[in-house]
Amino acid sequence: MTGPIHPRLFRRARATRRYLLASVLVGILTAVLIILQAWLIADGVTATFAVGRLPQGWPVLLLALGGVFLARAGLGWLNSWLSHRSAAAVKSQLRRDVLAAHLATPVGAASSSSLIRIVTRGLDDLDGYFSKYLPQLGLAATVPFLVGGLVLLLDWPSAFIIAFTLPLIPIFMVLIGWTTEKATKRSFAVADRLANHFADLIAGLPTLQAFARARAQKRGVDLNEERYRGATMKVLTVSFISSLALELLASLSVAVVAVTIGFRLVYGQVDFFTALFVLILAPEAFLPVRQVGTHFHDSVDGMAAADAAFDIIDAAPSHGGTRPAPTGGALRFEGVGYAYPGTDRRVLDGFRLEVAPGEVVALSGASGGGKSTALAMAMGFLAPDEGRVTVDGVSLAELDLASWRAQVAYVAQNPGLVRGTVADNVRLGAPDATDEEIAAALATAGADFGPGKPIADDGEGLSAGERRRVALARALRRIRHGARLLVLDEPTAGLDSDREALVIAAVRDSGASALIVSHRPAVLAAADRVVEWAGV
Amino acid sequence: MRKLVLELLDAVPKGRARFALATFLAAAASASSVALMGVSAWLISRAAEFPPVLYLQVAAVGVRTFGISRGAFRYVERLVGHDLALRMQSVLRSRTYDKLSRTTLIGRRQGDLLTRIVQDVAAVQDLVVRVAIPALSASLVILGTTVMLARFNVASSLVLLLSAILAGVLVPWWAQRASLRVDRESVADRGALADGARELALAGPDLLANGADGAALGRLLEVDDRLRRQEQRGAWVRGVATAAQILAAGIAVVAALWIGGNAVAAGDLGPRLLAVLVLTPLALHEVFQDFAKAAQTFTRSQAAMSRVREVLDADPVGTGDVEPGEGVAVQLADATVGWPGGAPVQEGLDLIVAPGEKVALVGPSGVGKTTVAATLMGLIPPLAGEVERAGRVGYLAQDAHIFATSVAENVRIGNKDATDEQVADALRRAGLDLPLDRVIGEAGSTLSGGERRRLALARVLVGERDLLILDEPTEHLDHDTAAALMRDVWAAAEGLRTLVITHDESVAAACDRVVELR
Repeated sequence: MTGPIHPRLFRRARATRRYLLASVLVGILTAVLIILQAWLIADGVTATFAVGRLPQGWPVLLLALGGVFLARAGLGWLNSWLSHRSAAAVKSQLRRDVLAAHLATPVGAASSSSLIRIVTRGLDDLDGYFSKYLPQLGLAATVPFLVGGLVLLLDWPSAFIIAFTLPLIPIFMVLIGWTTEKATKRSFAVADRLANHFADLIAGLPTLQAFARARAQKRGVDLNEERYRGATMKVLTVSFISSLALELLASLSVAVVAVTIGFRLVYGQVDFFTALFVLILAPEAFLPVRQVGTHFHDSVDGMAAADAAFDIIDAAPSHGGTRPAPTGGALRFEGVGYAYPGTDRRVLDGFRLEVAPGEVVALSGASGGGKSTALAMAMGFLAPDEGRVTVDGVSLAELDLASWRAQVAYVAQNPGLVRGTVADNVRLGAPDATDEEIAAALATAGADFGPGKPIADDGEGLSAGERRRVALARALRRIRHGARLLVLDEPTAGLDSDREALVIAAVRDSGASALIVSHRPAVLAAADRVVEWAGV
Repeated sequence: MRKLVLELLDAVPKGRARFALATFLAAAASASSVALMGVSAWLISRAAEFPPVLYLQVAAVGVRTFGISRGAFRYVERLVGHDLALRMQSVLRSRTYDKLSRTTLIGRRQGDLLTRIVQDVAAVQDLVVRVAIPALSASLVILGTTVMLARFNVASSLVLLLSAILAGVLVPWWAQRASLRVDRESVADRGALADGARELALAGPDLLANGADGAALGRLLEVDDRLRRQEQRGAWVRGVATAAQILAAGIAVVAALWIGGNAVAAGDLGPRLLAVLVLTPLALHEVFQDFAKAAQTFTRSQAAMSRVREVLDADPVGTGDVEPGEGVAVQLADATVGWPGGAPVQEGLDLIVAPGEKVALVGPSGVGKTTVAATLMGLIPPLAGEVERAGRVGYLAQDAHIFATSVAENVRIGNKDATDEQVADALRRAGLDLPLDRVIGEAGSTLSGGERRRLALARVLVGERDLLILDEPTEHLDHDTAAALMRDVWAAAEGLRTLVITHDESVAAACDRVVELR
């Protein structure tokens, strides 16, 4: 637990700060209204009690009381409105930052599935954080103090009971949390594993069916369920204790205030009005604190969502600079070293390579040797930990990467496609290409499907090999439209030798320089130079 | 949905009794807090009459008891309620599993269904703990309080009941509908956001490389902006239920003071009961909140439960488990294949796989390659024509699931009687060097794509097979990994009948024969 307010959210999302300020103001106003409401009720009841009928000026009293409730309702609504608006603003800001961060480091950082989850549903957990937890936190930070302060002025023994109990609530919660943490963690881990077991079996059903084991596993499911319920109940028995303590302290303290003040009333140590006034106020002092406890779960989910977003945002350094990229000169790797974040293993170490203008260089070597990583660096998707990648002697770190990428055509090993048609995807690299040019590029790339073939989400409808051909056609077209360097990762994998020859010829004919990761003999033979990179 | 929930309740031992107990305990907890306020108000009013202290003792004990009982009842209620909810979830999980295991899932592209159903089934817990128990118990408490107060003053208690219906039923119902309307407006944009985010995530490098990132991000930010403005416009309906609760409590309090004051003047109400009449609605107001929360949760769980019911009510397709065939030959003769109830995907198909032969099955996506495999496995009958199928089929799926258990247990899925030696041998033939007792899925123990495929291969190799069906064995693997895997696959498949479904031309090229579907 990081404390009641998420520090990064507070520092970096402007709407959070504004909302926190607003919620404190709402809290102060609410406290004032609660006090006014208690005063009016106590006054109305005691006056009626004293004279045996509604007191003089009762219409004003009732109207005022109604007005106070109306104002409280309005304030409650305002608080909800503000919190939902702030949630929307913060979610939008984080979404934007996460997406921009992904484009700054498109490979190696966050997995695409976690990115999609965060942007779509994950950040919605902030709704609960803003609309349920923070408003109660704002009230808890103000109402108990103002209400408790007033009770202190009117009747110090009652204030003493409240002041003694109220701080006990968070203290007990923390203490119970500490003492049960170990037990909870252990049983939680067990429960979690058992819970995942069912999901695991369901996800594996097709596999179980393939080996005629699915129906037989039903007994396993039932057995697991029995154990899962046992483990979960063990967790719950312990974890509900903290809310038991919360409820117990809050209501017992109200009870003690009521009984004590009742007996002091009999002995004439306090008057009826004060007694009733304090009785109405006492539960109000505890309510926001109890609500914070109730909505603590929302805060945990919300903070986790914010953390996940900030982790992506912070893991994306902005590499690149502002200088326009040189339009000539060699691409050079100068002693480049790299390890993916979170791993110790270097995929590149002391890597050197030069691609001179017009030269076709093939990069070959064992699997996992960091060849694809080197290509990602040439594109500026990753920045080296050590050494530098330069164009005409200028480090990529200083260059405006967009101006550099405008000179490059790139084919990844598993290219991503956008929704639309095959032609739309080829045109991505060369917006002004004609239909004939696109058809020709596809034919050269070995595609046996037409430019009009529709592409759904994530290239659905095309196999990995077919996707690579679309990307290759795009790269070939892009070279015709002025790019001067081809960066290709296994461009001919899955092609037969005739089609491979066509691709090689197209690359050679373009006159552009090329850096090609490949192991295919025909590609290596056609290159001006083959660099064997054995890995680290 | 009521029918399904009642069925589940009856499937749990003493289900209805447990439910009644949980509801009673929840009502007792809420009633305790109302009674705490009511009795306290009486105690103080009585004290204001300066009676002998003895007269206050019973009320004082009552106040203290209610102070303790609320927390205690709540704690027990939560345990009983959650236990019941978990039992019902277990029954539902068991039924869902049973249903799904009896319908053929191989080759039907139902991955999405399988991930969603686990979440959907969990909704039954919310339905019990967050909807049924709170709504029922809150109704009980409100009715009980109304009846109690009616003994002192009927008019005032009726106003309380009406305000409770307003704040507990009418306004939450309206607010729920209004929120749904707001949510519906944003459905299209949420879809567009998800699609755009997916595109950006998966095609990010391609967009950047082609300078198309700015435009793609810009389109996405426009969607985001629309979404933000929609949410902010919709914010106004969200707090209405909260405001209504405060207002309803206000109406009840003001009415109680007015009606009660007049009743005191008329001599119909003892003055010391006025405070009870006025202060009780204040405490009851907290109970109203349960309704609003239950209404919100209800909408969500209802959608999930109806998806579960769809699965439970669907007719099973095929046999589910692959049953070993009788014969030894592998042959389709003039066969028409297709999913039961669907259109035929291939007609007049002839296919033979001879012993020791490697046959590639190629053709564009959606032409029915996996359907042919399902027919050869005996999962579905041919719609027409003859099929002879071998007894023991080993199927290597491209998305073979790796279970979160030990390496050995994962391999034993393929042959539950395999000895440790047989498992180790299968792993060796699959080119995988992993300790048998390593548990996969625990921290730091994940497998790469190539290793997963090899573990699945070991599963196929651990038993005696008459036919191997390899479904896109190299899909989604990088080139080097795929080439190394196929070397081991071919070595292991030596002498067996092998049918390879593939898009990968280098895989097809390594086969003895290529059958092209069109």
